[in-house]
Amino acid sequence: MKSKILALLGSALISGTAMAGGYQVNLASQRQIGMGHTGTGLLTGTSSIFFNPGAMSHIGYNGVTIGGSALISKIAYSAPESYGVTARTDNPMGTPFQAYGVYNITDKLSAGLGVYTPFGSTANWGDEWGGRYALNQLQLQAIFVQPTVSYAITDKLGIGIGLTYVAGSVNLQRSVPVQSQDGSEGSIELDGNAEPAFGFNAGIYFQPTEKLSLGVSYRSKVNMQLEQGDVMFSNIPAAARGNFPDGTTFNAELPLPSTLSFGLGFKATERLTLAADVNYVGWDAYERLRFDFSQNVAGSPFSEANRNYENAFIYRIGGEYMVNDALALRAGAYLDKTPVQDGYLTPETPDSDSRGLSAGIGYSVSENISIDASFLYINKKERTDDANLSNGVPGTFKAVAYIPGIGLNFKF
Amino acid sequence: MKKYFYKSSMLALMAGVFLTSCDPEIDTPASSAGQADFTSYVAVGNSLSAGYADQGLSRAGQLSSVPAILAEQFKAVGGGEFKQPLFTEAQRNGSGYLRLAGFTPQGSPILLPVTTDLAIRSQNPTLYAKYTDNINNLAIPGIRTADIKTVGYGSPMANPYFERLTDNPMQTYLAYVQEQAQAANHTFFSAWMAENDVLGYATSGGFSGNLTDVGVFQTNYSELIDALTADGEKGIAVTVPNVTAIPFFTTVGPTLKMGLKAQGATAIMALTKNTPTRIPLIVENIKDATGGTALIPLTAAAYAPLIGTPTGKWWSDNIPRSILGSTLEAYGVDTLQALGTPQNPWPSALLLDDAEQADILARTTAFNDYIKANAQTKNLAVWDAFTFFSNIQSGFSADGVNYSPAYITGNLFSLDGVHPTPRGYAIIANEMIKAINAKYNSNVPQVDVTQYRTVQFPN
Repeated sequence: MKSKILALLGSALISGTAMAGGYQVNLASQRQIGMGHTGTGLLTGTSSIFFNPGAMSHIGYNGVTIGGSALISKIAYSAPESYGVTARTDNPMGTPFQAYGVYNITDKLSAGLGVYTPFGSTANWGDEWGGRYALNQLQLQAIFVQPTVSYAITDKLGIGIGLTYVAGSVNLQRSVPVQSQDGSEGSIELDGNAEPAFGFNAGIYFQPTEKLSLGVSYRSKVNMQLEQGDVMFSNIPAAARGNFPDGTTFNAELPLPSTLSFGLGFKATERLTLAADVNYVGWDAYERLRFDFSQNVAGSPFSEANRNYENAFIYRIGGEYMVNDALALRAGAYLDKTPVQDGYLTPETPDSDSRGLSAGIGYSVSENISIDASFLYINKKERTDDANLSNGVPGTFKAVAYIPGIGLNFKF
Repeated sequence: MKKYFYKSSMLALMAGVFLTSCDPEIDTPASSAGQADFTSYVAVGNSLSAGYADQGLSRAGQLSSVPAILAEQFKAVGGGEFKQPLFTEAQRNGSGYLRLAGFTPQGSPILLPVTTDLAIRSQNPTLYAKYTDNINNLAIPGIRTADIKTVGYGSPMANPYFERLTDNPMQTYLAYVQEQAQAANHTFFSAWMAENDVLGYATSGGFSGNLTDVGVFQTNYSELIDALTADGEKGIAVTVPNVTAIPFFTTVGPTLKMGLKAQGATAIMALTKNTPTRIPLIVENIKDATGGTALIPLTAAAYAPLIGTPTGKWWSDNIPRSILGSTLEAYGVDTLQALGTPQNPWPSALLLDDAEQADILARTTAFNDYIKANAQTKNLAVWDAFTFFSNIQSGFSADGVNYSPAYITGNLFSLDGVHPTPRGYAIIANEMIKAINAKYNSNVPQVDVTQYRTVQFPN
């Protein structure tokens, strides 16, 4: 028994689970992370608020879940023809989290509230690397709050919809290629909070037989609007300061793309559940990164760089094995196709096709309390790009992430 | 069970800690020397190899010279120590140089000389602190290929940068190179020699200085390369860039053109070459972004505002008082007349006209043809600086920085408008590395050019 768990853990550690494409962060449930983040066609418990609101009315209990992950990501960079790694990120640990509560109002109708973080990005390259004029560091955060209702039309069919309220912030820092005689270099920092924005998350859950379940869900695009964000300059030499005026503000818009998901669940035996999901992410909403300034910066009222992301698929499989009534072992894998086209790579999200491997454990401490732990390893394909279409930094990037997480479930 | 769960989560935690210490790696090709041997590298050349910038040679400039950057990159593929005739820290400002002190209300740069911590040991003639140890960077600011066999070129009355290095004033530069190359037992070299064989004539607007005779150039250049390849050593030769494309010639013209047009002038009279011949300088033909070919050197900035007023300022600034009267007479100049009229023409030194440019281009092409043919015979790598600088005339962008041959704002050229900034030198070093790698199947790593400065502004 012990060796079995160790074997599973070992395989997870050698391969692991992957991060999402672009600046999406698919870490919405500790149980589901363990299963390759499948769940659209499953009853995932309270996290059905995220995976498929249509399934929420079928979970059959009132419950609360809280959980979080420690996202440790590392990116290496090799400048063209440098024959070695020339820069590495020093990223702070990310802390995506989730909280869900579900209450069954009647047998058929349930209501719930979810708080989760499906988008975010952190990259800290520092202010010495060769790409510092493109990026020193970026911090993008978005929190979704989603009140949700779900209705069980029959024993086999459920529908649900939630309103998503989205709050977010962006902080971006770059070096400015203007030097003082003391050798110091200028820098610019853009910092802003998004205006409140709204979207929705809807789903249908269908369980035709005892063994088989299906689901489809759609989370809408939300545009994060940043208005009157602060533009701060430092170390600009006096003679150039007119080009970088104090008190400048910026407006910007960042789309958080839609996700259409199909999922399948199959109860192979009394103890083994298998799942598969396909996500289709509407990344083509992200055409450009544009900052409009309240006064000219470096002689221009705006700064713009093309992104031209493409829509992308994510393929997921996962499984859960109930060792006994209390202990569940989970594993999963996924392939997340990159939305970034050739020529458009950036140091903000030096994205490429990513492979994810996950493992997880669930343990019921009592009738009402259970714990889920997960570990996800993400390995993005090494990618070399000229970055000539995105004002990016040419070279080769390679990213990995290690994401342990833990969650608590209460039923009542 | 509980205990078991605890144990396995501790294991998971420990595994997590272990994994987070695993950094991603990138499968790059390994650096390698290929068919070249970089163990001992020597550089011959002029100011462009010495690290000269901002109209002077300083310790900081020496430390970011092209050969110094190359030598640092060669270390990854077996390169050894590279000694330069560095000015000491106490004399770090070397010959002195120009710094940017600010801008006039009209936006013209204010340049001031740096006069502290110099390495000047004699004022008249100007001589610099001696450095006669064996070195690897043998570059001499100001040297022409025509000078390398001149006896006495290292004397106090000749080139102070060579005087500084040699302990024998009668030694020729060629003999010095042979001596130093032997002492270094060199395995690789760079030779970037020929700029000053056209540059002096160009920057003087065709008024003074000579274009080196092609025959003399070929003889001297081949003897230099022969000395460096005596034992079959490998190396890289560099062609002469088109010197008329540097900011020294492209900065003042557009302003002058705009000013003259605003006054309704269509032409002024000017002298050409070192002759009393007058030619018209057609205002429309002054080179700017919209067209034109006539080039106005940076040295004209102080005299451009005097057009239309009676003045002999350029002549009295540049011609010794003892011969001023006879010189004015020889060129038929009446300084009581307005500058730009046939009686007081625009000095030849402040204009590089079409005929002068054609002479320079023809000579440059002749030199470059010879440099390339010689390199082919000797099986050397070639970096074609002429093609490179021709191709970047409209500018380029790298790692989020815009580069162009524009004065100050273009990031490539230093305040003298002729010599690159350290950033410009680093970009050149990478281009040379590309040529070396292509020739010798080596993988010499490129340098991160952003670690080298551009023009620095006052705080």
